[in-house]
Amino acid sequence: MSVTTQTRSAQKTLAPWMRSLVGGLVTALPVILIGIVILLFAPAYLVRVAFAAYVNLLIVLGLQIFMGNSMVANLGQGAFVGIGAYSVAILATPVAMKKLSIPDAPFGLADIVLHPALAAGAGLGITGLIAALTGLVIARLSGEAATIVTFSLMMVVHSIFIQWTDLFKGAQAFFGIPQVVGLATAIGAATLATIIARLFKDSASGLHLRASAESLLAARAFGVDVFRLRLLAWILGAVICASGGILYAFFMGTINARAFHFELVMTTLAMLILGGMRTVSGAVFGCIALALLLEAIRSVESGIAVAGFQLPPLLGLSGLAMGAIIVLGMTFRPRGIFVRLELDELLWRLFARRQPRAITEGKPI
Amino acid sequence: MLSIDNVSKSFMGVRALRGVSFVGAADEILGLIGPNGAGKSTLVNAISGVLKPDSGSIRLGDVDLTGRGPEFAARQGVGRTFQNLRLFPSLTVRQNVEVGLITCRRHRPEVARSIDIDALLDRFGLAADAGRPAGTLPYGQQRRLELARAEALGAKLLLLDEPAAGMNDYETAALADQLRAIRRRSRCALLVIDHDLHFIMSVCDRICVLDMGEVVAIGTPELIRANPKVAEIYLGAAEAAPHQKNIREERQWN
Repeated sequence: MSVTTQTRSAQKTLAPWMRSLVGGLVTALPVILIGIVILLFAPAYLVRVAFAAYVNLLIVLGLQIFMGNSMVANLGQGAFVGIGAYSVAILATPVAMKKLSIPDAPFGLADIVLHPALAAGAGLGITGLIAALTGLVIARLSGEAATIVTFSLMMVVHSIFIQWTDLFKGAQAFFGIPQVVGLATAIGAATLATIIARLFKDSASGLHLRASAESLLAARAFGVDVFRLRLLAWILGAVICASGGILYAFFMGTINARAFHFELVMTTLAMLILGGMRTVSGAVFGCIALALLLEAIRSVESGIAVAGFQLPPLLGLSGLAMGAIIVLGMTFRPRGIFVRLELDELLWRLFARRQPRAITEGKPI
Repeated sequence: MLSIDNVSKSFMGVRALRGVSFVGAADEILGLIGPNGAGKSTLVNAISGVLKPDSGSIRLGDVDLTGRGPEFAARQGVGRTFQNLRLFPSLTVRQNVEVGLITCRRHRPEVARSIDIDALLDRFGLAADAGRPAGTLPYGQQRRLELARAEALGAKLLLLDEPAAGMNDYETAALADQLRAIRRRSRCALLVIDHDLHFIMSVCDRICVLDMGEVVAIGTPELIRANPKVAEIYLGAAEAAPHQKNIREERQWN
């Protein structure tokens, strides 16, 4: 038996879900390692930056679950991040603070407070419910119609945040949210979301949904319930996006509706496009790459000294860079960095390719 | 058993099917032939649930498939291939086949237990390419993959829309063997559309001839070969002199 066959056999000895679990962990490994290094060695400022990146990773993974498997464009992720964040803000903020910020909140919400964990659970539940209702429409759509409807969803939710001042404080910041999470929680959540995204992608439902993205007619002719699977992916993706919003609110202590609008949508979309939306590895590495790049650009943006010469502040450079990344990415590498294979699959291939050479060279395996 | 009863279908006033009726046996290979525009693909699309007939009924055994959609038909064991290949090109060969098997596992687990995906790929000569994206296979292999995917559905009825299209004589002969083998293994019925009459005559137990959306003739290949109406449809020479009949048949069947 050749070693390539042995390698394949080794892969096959694991149950499919176990292979996906291992694959998810391999993909999440850089997420964990980078997080640990930052936790141990980085200054507080960098911890804050890293936390924002981990929140973005959760949102990108949420996007990947729906968009990457169904190939239906989604510009509505900001809505679910906001719903998650405002849910915990309203439910977990101490009553004394709410008497100041939202004294006229409806349904007696100014007078109740939940434990942060319960509030987070409620936030995920509310998001899941809203996603299920909106998904009834979105799961039936494809192409431009889906893009417009998801974008409209974000606009509607944003308008509600801005206009319903009694509950969401409008354009003002919602403050006083208990700051109960740190970077370690975000690392854990991102790792878990990476594994969930991978398990879903490799599951029977994930495979059926990916098949429907390739040929809708053929998938239906092979019994794929496209509507049900899109709805499932939409809800799961929304809940993971909301978990990002919940962590953001519990870390920052203050939130504002603007944080869940265009900039967030464009940033997370650029991350997914850059990495490759069809793979979970693409979501993870796109997020890491763009987070690093944007941070580097931001440092230039505020004006740096090069060889003793002080460059002026270049305000708006990060926005320009983001646009350029989307345009260049779509032009030169439209399917992203990780096109089809996940990180662990690429590593397996590399391993399998090297082994036969070891035999011919007489090296022990 | 497939039972088509008085099925009609029109597209913007054009009658593609006009009261088509026939019955297919449970393990029969039934050919469906006719000139372009006869309604063959429309009928296959109606059976597989892609199109809803305007009237009439389509049953597979005791189950009424009429207008229930392609998902329902697939879950009842109606597998199909397409006139123009419709694989899932970015998915691997194995994953393409798994799509059919997953449906079978969910809806007819007792059938799915007898399907071994590795053996299936091996039988269709696709085992070595199992990890390759389906879209990168040569055309002949893609055709075979469509068949393998349809068999993985654990089909009771396989609808094959021009499976020999673009194949050379050697590949067509191999395809005929494969279809017989599928019938033997799966004990399913096959409904085969093709323009290659040699292929149809050699592989089918019976043949149904459609013209202008109507059934013109149905019977064994010998009966169809001897049917003057069929020759007329194909050669358009109803009033041809008797001495020309033999020439027509030579041109048609040889």
